[in-house]
Amino acid sequence: MRAKRSTCLACFGSLNDRGIAHTSPSKLQTWLGCFAVPLLAASLSGNSIQAQTPLRELLHPLPFKIAYESYADNNSDLWVMNADGSLPVNLTQTPAEQEHYPQVSPDGTKICFVSDVGEGRDTVRTLYLMDIDGHNRKKIADHAREPFWSPDGKVIGFLPQEFAKFDVIDFSTKGMSFYALASGKIEPHVNSTNLHHLYNPSWSSNGRWIVATVHAGMGFDHAILLLEAHGNTIINLKIPGCRPCFSPDGKHVAWGSDDHVISAAPIDLEVDQPAVGEWSVRITDEHNKIYHVDWSPDSQFLAFSRGPDSGGDPNKPGTHLAAAEIHGVYAPGWNICVAKVDRAADLHLEQASEADFVVLTTNGLSNKEPAWFRARR
Amino acid sequence: MTLLRSLALLTLMALFAGCEKSAPNAPNEAKSSDSANDHKGGAAGPIAISTKSGVQMVYVSGGEFMMGNDRGNPDEAPVHKVTLSPFLMDKFEVTHERFAQAQLPDPSHWQDNPQKPVERVRWRDAKRYCNERSFLEGLRPCYNEKTFDWDCDYAANGYRLPTEAEWEFACCAGTQDPADVPGPEKLRQYAWMADNSGEKTHPVGQKKPNGLGICDLLGNVSEWCEDVYSPTYYQEGPAIDPHGPPNPGKDVKRVIRGGSWKSSPDQCRATARQGERTGDTDACFATDFCGFRCVRRVAPEELQQLRQLK
Repeated sequence: MRAKRSTCLACFGSLNDRGIAHTSPSKLQTWLGCFAVPLLAASLSGNSIQAQTPLRELLHPLPFKIAYESYADNNSDLWVMNADGSLPVNLTQTPAEQEHYPQVSPDGTKICFVSDVGEGRDTVRTLYLMDIDGHNRKKIADHAREPFWSPDGKVIGFLPQEFAKFDVIDFSTKGMSFYALASGKIEPHVNSTNLHHLYNPSWSSNGRWIVATVHAGMGFDHAILLLEAHGNTIINLKIPGCRPCFSPDGKHVAWGSDDHVISAAPIDLEVDQPAVGEWSVRITDEHNKIYHVDWSPDSQFLAFSRGPDSGGDPNKPGTHLAAAEIHGVYAPGWNICVAKVDRAADLHLEQASEADFVVLTTNGLSNKEPAWFRARR
Repeated sequence: MTLLRSLALLTLMALFAGCEKSAPNAPNEAKSSDSANDHKGGAAGPIAISTKSGVQMVYVSGGEFMMGNDRGNPDEAPVHKVTLSPFLMDKFEVTHERFAQAQLPDPSHWQDNPQKPVERVRWRDAKRYCNERSFLEGLRPCYNEKTFDWDCDYAANGYRLPTEAEWEFACCAGTQDPADVPGPEKLRQYAWMADNSGEKTHPVGQKKPNGLGICDLLGNVSEWCEDVYSPTYYQEGPAIDPHGPPNPGKDVKRVIRGGSWKSSPDQCRATARQGERTGDTDACFATDFCGFRCVRRVAPEELQQLRQLK
């Protein structure tokens, strides 16, 4: 399998002018033929039957849900809805707190998130854990942000805030810490003192790697890095953009190539020097920003947030002025969307059919940061 | 080739003439409410103070000067009379060390020396620093953070970005030194620019200061100003303490002044103007030549107190 991948990598094209790996359709076919990647192969068999099925109908029977943040009535809360967008439920309902950035445990039973209290520079961002139904809320750490789960669900990684004074910008972090659910202890990453300005981490399904973006830190201008979860190795994946996310099957990584493009590409995380292959999926929206990509538990769908460029609203309590995609910034017109990525695709959202793309929330109330999980029955 | 070089030099000299073109009302002959020595660096020299948080600032007396340059780019014309109130201006561009002191995440590209200027700073990041420094020193912040533009209260005694009129006055004023109208060779003594920077920023204060004792105004990093950029503003702006045109609400650019490590000599001029998008809705603002320095208003009696502290 590894040898086959090496052969295929040879047919990859070069980066285009937007910094996105580009290949011709014929090369893509060759490449698809070479791989036995389930994500892609699954498609080519059943796709003709499913091609015309509206995506919402396809999602309806699936045992998945999506957690997300939404700002209504002067308050940001965490919500959960079915995979087709039906039955949204407010999990938090805390008028004095602004909850953001939900991350659901791999078994779908717990949810980790951040909660902001206060205004402006005096805001205190705190990391919490609670049951998926919103009960048993437990504080993990103050001045902490951007949690991520270990694949076995026993550890929550997070990024300590760079300064006690609050700044909404996502890269305001210093170091990395791990919270062990069983003991309640917090330990620093072995290389924590050298980690600076990371944001949006995601843990690989084999437990070996953490992928994150760095901005103006660790000697990097801006890069997507692979960090050894329990070691000092740091690898620049050399893919332009930010906010990477591993697929649960451990075979792909998705990320925002720029404000208007989400890409996904294969990656072999079993080797010592993983590298990202040619993109297999590209989602483009020329007018709206698209951010916060997250894989469905079966690695067949991508959820993401989508909305117009803006810089926040100073009249919304508990929010900040910065780029709309940053959590803690009110983003009018933003909604949660899902695209089908069970096959190689170059999807332009403005022309996409309802079989490939669906907007799940429609109220535009700053719906961001979707997080899939498998629903417990 | 020699002829071409001579022509280029003559062109540059014409462009640099911005600061001396209006001899009767030139900045270096500004009429001031204070004594000549107080603002021109006479017997007493430039007035420098150190603030409560340890930042070195220079007193700029204000007064009347001729702003703009009829021989520069179209947006530098017409030359017009402007009168400014006195103010204090940072001697150096804001450095990494100062940014960290204010507990702000540093977005800069070159962080290998704490005395290098911050860059890749959004317009609002710069204003945030101003407010943080005001808080640090117990001053009343100028910026209202609950408004879209972080509206500026010019009556407050806290820190803020300079208006472009203040920036130009400080760059030109208070000196007879030909550095304000330099040829390329002379300019290299005062500014880090494309042909001497090695394509990077440098620690502040390594080049000669201008006549007021202010460093790096013409190079190293370009500097955010408070004003909305309008190429026609000089035709319509007020004559006393101009703050720039109102925000048009869409595609707004703010003024940046001074050259940078990547500028050609003709961009490193006191009167050269540039508009830049603020980057406030860009999470990864990458304009690595954009820095800033702060100013604040100062009353004569407060200046006396500050001088005694020094």
